Amino acid sequence: MSDESKSSTPQTSGTGPYVSRSTVPIWIIVLTLVLLFLGMVYFDHHSGWFDPQVYGPYASTEELELYQPKSGEAALLARGKARYDQVCGLCHGVDGLGKAGQAPPLAGSEWVDTKGFERLTHIPLVGVAGQLSVKGQMWSMSMPAMGAAMSDEDLAGVLTYIRHSWGNKGGPVTAEEVKAARAALGTHPLPMTGDQMSKMPE
Amino acid sequence: MLALFGGAALWLVVGSVLALIASIKFHAPEFLANHACLTYGRLQPAADDALLYGFCLPAGLGVALWLLARLGGTPLRGALVPIVAANLWHLGVFAGLAGILIGDSTGFTWLEFPRGGSVPIFFAYLLLALWAMMNFTGRRERALYPSQWFLVAALFWFPWIYSTANLLLATSPVRGVVQAVIGWWFANNLLVVWTGLMGLGATFYFLPKLTGRPLKSHYLVLFAFCTFMLFATWCGIPTGAPVPAWMPTLSAVAAAWLLVPLLVVFLVVWQTVQGSVKSNWHNTPFCFIGSGIDAFLLSGLMLMLMSCPQLSRFTSFTWFGPAETQLRLYGFFAMTMFGAVYYILPRAVALEFPFPKLARVHFWLSLAGIALLVVPLAIGGVVQGWKLRHPDTIAFADTTKAMLPFLRASTTGLLLMLLGNLLFFANVMGLTLHWKIALIKQFIAFVKSPLEPGSAYASPRRDKEVRA
Amino acid sequence: MKNGFLIFFASFVMLGGSWCGFVLAPVLQLGGQKQTTILNSSDVYPVGRPGLANQGLQVYRANGCAACHTEQVQQEGVACEVVLTSAGINPMAVTNAMSSLKLTGLDKNTADVIVDRITAVGGKAEIHITATGPDIARGWGLRHSVAEDFLYDDPVQLGSVRIGPDLADVGARRPDVNWQLLHLYAPQSVVNGSAMPPFRYLFRIQKIGGEPSPDALNLPKGFTPPAGYEVVPTAQAKELAAYLLSLQADVPLHDAPFTQPPAVSKP
Repeated sequence: MSDESKSSTPQTSGTGPYVSRSTVPIWIIVLTLVLLFLGMVYFDHHSGWFDPQVYGPYASTEELELYQPKSGEAALLARGKARYDQVCGLCHGVDGLGKAGQAPPLAGSEWVDTKGFERLTHIPLVGVAGQLSVKGQMWSMSMPAMGAAMSDEDLAGVLTYIRHSWGNKGGPVTAEEVKAARAALGTHPLPMTGDQMSKMPE
Repeated sequence: MLALFGGAALWLVVGSVLALIASIKFHAPEFLANHACLTYGRLQPAADDALLYGFCLPAGLGVALWLLARLGGTPLRGALVPIVAANLWHLGVFAGLAGILIGDSTGFTWLEFPRGGSVPIFFAYLLLALWAMMNFTGRRERALYPSQWFLVAALFWFPWIYSTANLLLATSPVRGVVQAVIGWWFANNLLVVWTGLMGLGATFYFLPKLTGRPLKSHYLVLFAFCTFMLFATWCGIPTGAPVPAWMPTLSAVAAAWLLVPLLVVFLVVWQTVQGSVKSNWHNTPFCFIGSGIDAFLLSGLMLMLMSCPQLSRFTSFTWFGPAETQLRLYGFFAMTMFGAVYYILPRAVALEFPFPKLARVHFWLSLAGIALLVVPLAIGGVVQGWKLRHPDTIAFADTTKAMLPFLRASTTGLLLMLLGNLLFFANVMGLTLHWKIALIKQFIAFVKSPLEPGSAYASPRRDKEVRA
Repeated sequence: MKNGFLIFFASFVMLGGSWCGFVLAPVLQLGGQKQTTILNSSDVYPVGRPGLANQGLQVYRANGCAACHTEQVQQEGVACEVVLTSAGINPMAVTNAMSSLKLTGLDKNTADVIVDRITAVGGKAEIHITATGPDIARGWGLRHSVAEDFLYDDPVQLGSVRIGPDLADVGARRPDVNWQLLHLYAPQSVVNGSAMPPFRYLFRIQKIGGEPSPDALNLPKGFTPPAGYEVVPTAQAKELAAYLLSLQADVPLHDAPFTQPPAVSKP
């Protein structure tokens, strides 16, 4: 730990104590440079390059995007599942099998697994009152219009999800189709009865 | 000068009492719990602020004023300025502490004073800083001693950070989590950078002065000065904070780089005092300042540990953080100020302390106190962190219970510190009393013989300045 | 250094640097932040706290609750789990594909590969994303705290020490206002060995009038007031309880994604 031997005679600065003038040892400079380099490498890996969306657990925007729900039909399905689980699954079951005394099953239901979707779209928008036959069983619980408060995207997601799950093979329902159905209904539509539903085209 | 130091000593005692009461509440949560103004959540911030704004800042300013005048070879003129500023300051601290206790705290750590306290403090600081700068720019001795760099930088540092923090947090608050970021920036720059600059400035004067050795060396101290300012100002954002990742990362990197100034300061101190410690052991200011710089290095290491992402898992949200802060504020800065005041005051007023032996007792009490406060809390903090990281096996209530033995030790430490602070207060107050009595005696003598001219009847205040 | 101006200039540059980095840049980047959308939904987050809860934040501030409690959840990583949703027409093949494969604690890329393998043999699987970390495991939250969580708070009370548990999600963890009030009045009655001081001055002990007040606290033995008296919360206590109940941060966001667990069905 010897200084470079350039120490001149100790300097005094006025009224202060003496100050020697030996130079900074080279190993300190080297250490500083090494630390600077390591620090920059660390910053490279952990900073997310100043992106305001990247927080601690993620190292970069790429990694964050990996964990986002995918777009397209997969996103619609994921979104629909999330909404379904929160809203419809409470009565119809997370497994789509329904609950006795509460709600009919959706899995394999002739009202869900259809070619067309207009009739199905109406069900959550207006609700059902009176008796309804589902898969050979008679159900007489009334369903409130659970989808009336949902946004078009959410309801489209839910309908796509139930038509796609538990063995159902129906196609997707888009948000525009939901919007059109909603607009055609007008204000304060009444719940449909089983008879009205059988008479409606798919 | 006396007004600054005397008031500072008073707030030190007040702060110690508040801190002690707050600490006792851990052992008996019912202690004084019925009064809103004595609840822990108000006492602890009040105690911390009393230490920082009541003691550390005015003591630091007073020491800086004296050192700058001394090193510049120019006596301070205009005795009214420090008296007005000091009184304004102490009024502000009083209003601030009262504000916290009645529930008017701003809610920001280290910035709790409501406007009634923060505005007087700010203007008092400006007054003193401008006065010091006027003295500095008009100095007779143009060559600069290293301490002056640190002190001038420190004088400049505080108004910027204090005004920014108060404006953007209390006056016209920024949105959401940005408040926390600015709060952290302010707290770091005040507690680490400002105290570091002030304390190092004092240390680099007193260590060579008291040991009679030269300061080694000019370029090393310059290197420390630049790297400390550059790196330490970026620390402060804790790892894992709810802010975008680049902010804690910058702080973590800056804390790692802090190794350089810490190492250089260690080198300077080591080379300057090497071999002279035993012979200066009797010199109380030397003991204070020596232990102060040790605490600086230790708290710097603790800061580095807290910012390292792997290790911060065990120290974040634990008692380790408060331990580091107390070590820095009291163990480093306050101890350095004690040493400086014990040296400066007798020279400033040309009178001796009334109880010189008590200064030694004060040293031992403070040293034992801060050790008993910091070491258990630091160890306890790591234990707490370890327990918090095992949610499957350790319930949260157990982490609280496990802290009790450590807290018991820290409360004892606080008690010892309070006793030491009382001795300091007694000495400073005693000196003030002697000085006031001497002032009165001189005034009476002046009145009694108005016809005899001569410097014996010069104003006692001017005498004090010239002798500084 | 001979020049006083140089010192001033150096300090100005250094402090200016960190000012730009930690004052100017965050204000520019986050100062104008607006609500964000919850993942898989069109709902926005956060919604502002109701008025009572906002006043509760001021009570929280005035009593220095942040001196012991934090309001920030930390997360250390993300873990994926592959869950089979349909065995398809060839369950044997699916079982074979999945046998001896680790299905939990995966990273996203590995999970994607496994899902592809299952889909290739006719099955259907989905990936559940969960946050990992001691705070999450302790039930203090479902994800790390983000800037949006504090969008409408003034002052932001992040806290720095955990002498008491973290409160970021306490509204979801302890949604009962009566529990909160009880805990404020007598913490030791609901949490054994609690170090929290009782906030009795936030309550009023009054003589029972004709009928007991509907607000009166139902205190356990050992904490009840003398006979004929009841403990009633003051407005401040109610505001503080409302604020604590409003502390919920359990929805997935773009900067903190996770798979939301299904809602518990009410019988």
